[in-house]
Amino acid sequence: MVETVLLVGIVASIFVGFNIGGSSTGIAWGPAVGAGLLRKVTAAGLMTIFVFLGGWTVGRNVMDTLSEGIITIEISLAAGVAVLFFIGLGILVANVFGVPVPTSMVTVGAIAGLGLATDTVNYAEIGRIVSWWVVTPIIGFWIGATVGRYIYPELNRRFEIRSSEGPLLALDRGGSVPKPTLGPNTTIQELVGTCVVLVIGCYMAFSAGASNVPNAVAPLVSSGALDRNPAIIIATVAIGFGGFTIARRTMESVGSELSDIPLLAALVVMLTASTITTALSWAGIPISLVMASVMTIVGLGWGRATRPVTAREAIRGESDAELATGALKAEPDAPVTKIGEAEPNEVLDAGSLFNPRAVMKYISMWIIGPAMSTLLAYGFFIAVPFV
Amino acid sequence: MTSRLLVPMDGSEMSEHAPEYALDADITVLTVVGEPLPMWGEATGLALAGDLEEATQEHARAVFGRAREIATAADSDAELDTVVELGHPVRAIIDRADDYDTVVIGSHGGSVSDSLYVGNVAKKVVNRSPVPVVVVR
Repeated sequence: MVETVLLVGIVASIFVGFNIGGSSTGIAWGPAVGAGLLRKVTAAGLMTIFVFLGGWTVGRNVMDTLSEGIITIEISLAAGVAVLFFIGLGILVANVFGVPVPTSMVTVGAIAGLGLATDTVNYAEIGRIVSWWVVTPIIGFWIGATVGRYIYPELNRRFEIRSSEGPLLALDRGGSVPKPTLGPNTTIQELVGTCVVLVIGCYMAFSAGASNVPNAVAPLVSSGALDRNPAIIIATVAIGFGGFTIARRTMESVGSELSDIPLLAALVVMLTASTITTALSWAGIPISLVMASVMTIVGLGWGRATRPVTAREAIRGESDAELATGALKAEPDAPVTKIGEAEPNEVLDAGSLFNPRAVMKYISMWIIGPAMSTLLAYGFFIAVPFV
Repeated sequence: MTSRLLVPMDGSEMSEHAPEYALDADITVLTVVGEPLPMWGEATGLALAGDLEEATQEHARAVFGRAREIATAADSDAELDTVVELGHPVRAIIDRADDYDTVVIGSHGGSVSDSLYVGNVAKKVVNRSPVPVVVVR
């Protein structure tokens, strides 16, 4: 009997891990794959390795929180399997509706629902987690906005990352021993840029492992039905499997959306989001990569869109906003739009890209997601009290 | 009868029915770029672009090209203007509608996530437009 329940639990774990692999591989490698810097198979391989490293090291802290921190009793095997089904359900809903619902939130919500039903919630721990969930998007947004407003233009001037035609490296067979050289059209800058993209992608994969490996297996680890080390390995294999299969699609969809962002900006986002996620995972806070990523993206865009035009810039003619309109108004026969293009009736306002109501609507899904999983799990464990 | 029609298009097949229907009048094709998406990629990409005007036109080009094709195919001699706006489609359409006699919009066939983030544009325009709205199927 126990073996059967454990087997069902492991199948549920693999389903959860498989889906996590699909979504987080897309976020970690979408920009690099979209830019043509590496192949999808290479991305999935790197993903698997670094997810394992993240889960094996930093991920243990999150595993502790999920398996014994949120509720004061251990999660029995049967209850753990039920919790996994709620996590899977959350992921399914997120996939069907195309909404990025953070898995970590659904996991905490489902375990908290079990705690409410059995009156064993550790409110201090829940409070600590939820307060970080509130602070994290703000930190991401703030970092993004600061970079977008003050640092990005300078960064953009100095670094240009692009992918040239032909292979990155070639073998120079001229000498007695073949040695690698730069491929045709490859510049040193491109080589360095590509290496940076790879390193940051691996870092992001590491943070994905640290934060997401526990989601797939912690409910089974709590009762001792599954030991930590094999649990981490099972989760890694499932995530890797997702990375090699369904992530082909997510790398394309996320990659194509993120390809609108310059690669340099995407790297800023990845670096920020991975650092936040790794730091919080190290502190044992379950957090999803997507939360930190999206808020950093919004921050970057918002910061850049609403930047003030400084007097110095205006004088030096570096402004592309205020000065341009002034010039157009002063000279009626100034630059004409190219044939076939629309005449701009008025100057576009980049600020309208980040309408506060649209952002709030987006964030509301982060409240609805975990709230739903808490309620559903609570209802289920009240109706079926087998803990 | 010459009336001025505002025809919002978003590149979907459904939205192409709108100009087909409206081509006996002078129409202004409006498209909105940088609308809210799950990862906010397009909006941020535009905000970070060196030249916002150029980047915006770049995004709108395909839709305008399609509108002109439809006009040419229908052999219409009506005037066709194009306008591009940023941000939320509903707000952009409502803000502009006042300058026109009628809004002609395709009923939307977007995905579930589209309707979550943006909502059913046609429905909201019908509810909030200051001028009559024709929904084309």
